[in-house]
Amino acid sequence: MILGLQNVAPSFFTLVPGAPNDILGAWLVCFFTLAVFSFLYRDNPFYKTAEHVFVGLGTAYFALQYYEEGIWGPVVEYLGDRSADMGAGVHYSLGGMDIDPGIAIGLRIIPLLLGLMLLWRLFSPSSWAPRWPLAIMVGVYAALKMTGETQSKLVVLIADAMTPITDPDKVGWSEWTNIEQWNVFFTFSKIVFFVGLFCALGHFLFTYKRTRLLAGVSRIGVITLMITFGSMFGFTVLGRIALLIERVDALDGYKQAEYSLAAAPAAGDSANWMHAALSPPLIIGGIIVLMLALGAMSRRGKSTA
Amino acid sequence: MAAIQDFDRRWIFLVMGVLVTTLYALGIAKELTRSEYVDSYYATIEALPEGSVVMLSADFDPASAAELLPAYTATIHHLLKRRLKVINVATWPAAPPYTRGEFNQIAPLYDAVYGEAWVSMGFLPGDDVAMGNIGQSMRSAFPEDDVTDTPYDELPILADVGDNMEGIDLLITMSAGYPGILEWIAQVGGRYDVPILAATTAVQTPDLFAFYPTQCVGFLGAATGATRYLQLVDELTEGAVEEPKLKNQKRMMVQSWAHMFMIALIVIGNVIYFMGRSRERRATA
Repeated sequence: MILGLQNVAPSFFTLVPGAPNDILGAWLVCFFTLAVFSFLYRDNPFYKTAEHVFVGLGTAYFALQYYEEGIWGPVVEYLGDRSADMGAGVHYSLGGMDIDPGIAIGLRIIPLLLGLMLLWRLFSPSSWAPRWPLAIMVGVYAALKMTGETQSKLVVLIADAMTPITDPDKVGWSEWTNIEQWNVFFTFSKIVFFVGLFCALGHFLFTYKRTRLLAGVSRIGVITLMITFGSMFGFTVLGRIALLIERVDALDGYKQAEYSLAAAPAAGDSANWMHAALSPPLIIGGIIVLMLALGAMSRRGKSTA
Repeated sequence: MAAIQDFDRRWIFLVMGVLVTTLYALGIAKELTRSEYVDSYYATIEALPEGSVVMLSADFDPASAAELLPAYTATIHHLLKRRLKVINVATWPAAPPYTRGEFNQIAPLYDAVYGEAWVSMGFLPGDDVAMGNIGQSMRSAFPEDDVTDTPYDELPILADVGDNMEGIDLLITMSAGYPGILEWIAQVGGRYDVPILAATTAVQTPDLFAFYPTQCVGFLGAATGATRYLQLVDELTEGAVEEPKLKNQKRMMVQSWAHMFMIALIVIGNVIYFMGRSRERRATA
């Protein structure tokens, strides 16, 4: 992001933070990006390679992160440190209370045992052992969700829905006849919100017979829901196209002369068309297109059955 | 009509690709108009006194970096420019490299010293439970930092941070999905008196309007929100984020035309559908 830090020629391979993207990385980025895009034409070996490498690397990275943050730190290091502190008069704080290392170890062994009980399913699928940690997990999760989510997604939202239809900064109910001072759009949006909310809730009223009135309310509710889904779809399209543009932007960044196979321009000279033509995105893109075209030609005339 | 209905959709991909690439190559950038949600995000940070402590949660990964990284970069510039103390946390495993990378580049520009002006506590597994744990006790959630393995009590920035979000003046999340802003609101916002700001991906943005401004006092919705915020931060920092700002403005221009293309496709698709239906009706009549 900071240009000043990146005004250095990229090296072939580097792990230094803040250094410009290295040349090897540039070729890999271009290859994997274009290989994934090649799926839009049809499933092919380039896409399959990218897919397998992505899954493998992702699994390795996540496994390492969870091992480090979920096992190494909280279990191995924690128990090692507390064992070393036993008898040294050191106390730890837990839930606002001072506890000695022995109790800290004991309290940490309980979740460790529960974790091992969960894995017992691998040895004996019908064993009772995994049910206890599962029950605790479900209970804790339900309690966490029930309290926090009820407050934030029900109580507060209901309270927020009960607001005056006039802008409190403009004019109060006592002066409702003074229509010129109304914030018209504010009031209009509040009315739309109220009608939409009422009708959408009415659509999910299944305990009464669908009379003409209820069917009408339900119809407006369905229209409200469809507009909502349409808005969500619009935002989704926005996000997906943003990702495409970012990839185009990334590929464009590797068209610089520093990443090109052509000889670097002499001092004072600017990059020419040859540098762009021999840059990673164009070379890799060209190879992928060529290979796919050859594949298509070799399939021509053959039965797909 | 049958030929149109059997139209190979790969032509649409190709046209979209050519359209985006060509418009990007033209490089037209345009200033975006301001938005209430973005202004509120900016004003909330501006209203904090110097030295306030802000928790910045990186809840995203490479798949959503295109939308959230510009907002993340601009937020770091804004916080450090205002001399606010930043505690970085992450509930997504792939986020910490971004945290370190961005701070390592930006912090020196504002003479922000690690451990005093900013700290990286790393990734905490457990989703909602982890967020609840962070709210309940930072000390128990992160016994040491992520970069230097310094114990919690030896980090000057955490000297006034206690249990139940005590000492935290603002929580900001870069939210890509689950867990993200909705979980922070449920686990921390609803329990402790901490205002929450968010930058969200486009997919998550519609969910957030209902929570504004009571439970989320401001947000940057998708790349559009990030671009608007970059414009404000660029003005404040006198050009420190000019490169990402121009890049995002350019992207938004391409985005607008890509949307036009999508709308045109939807209209054409519907016209073809209704024409086909009326033809079928006439045939059966």
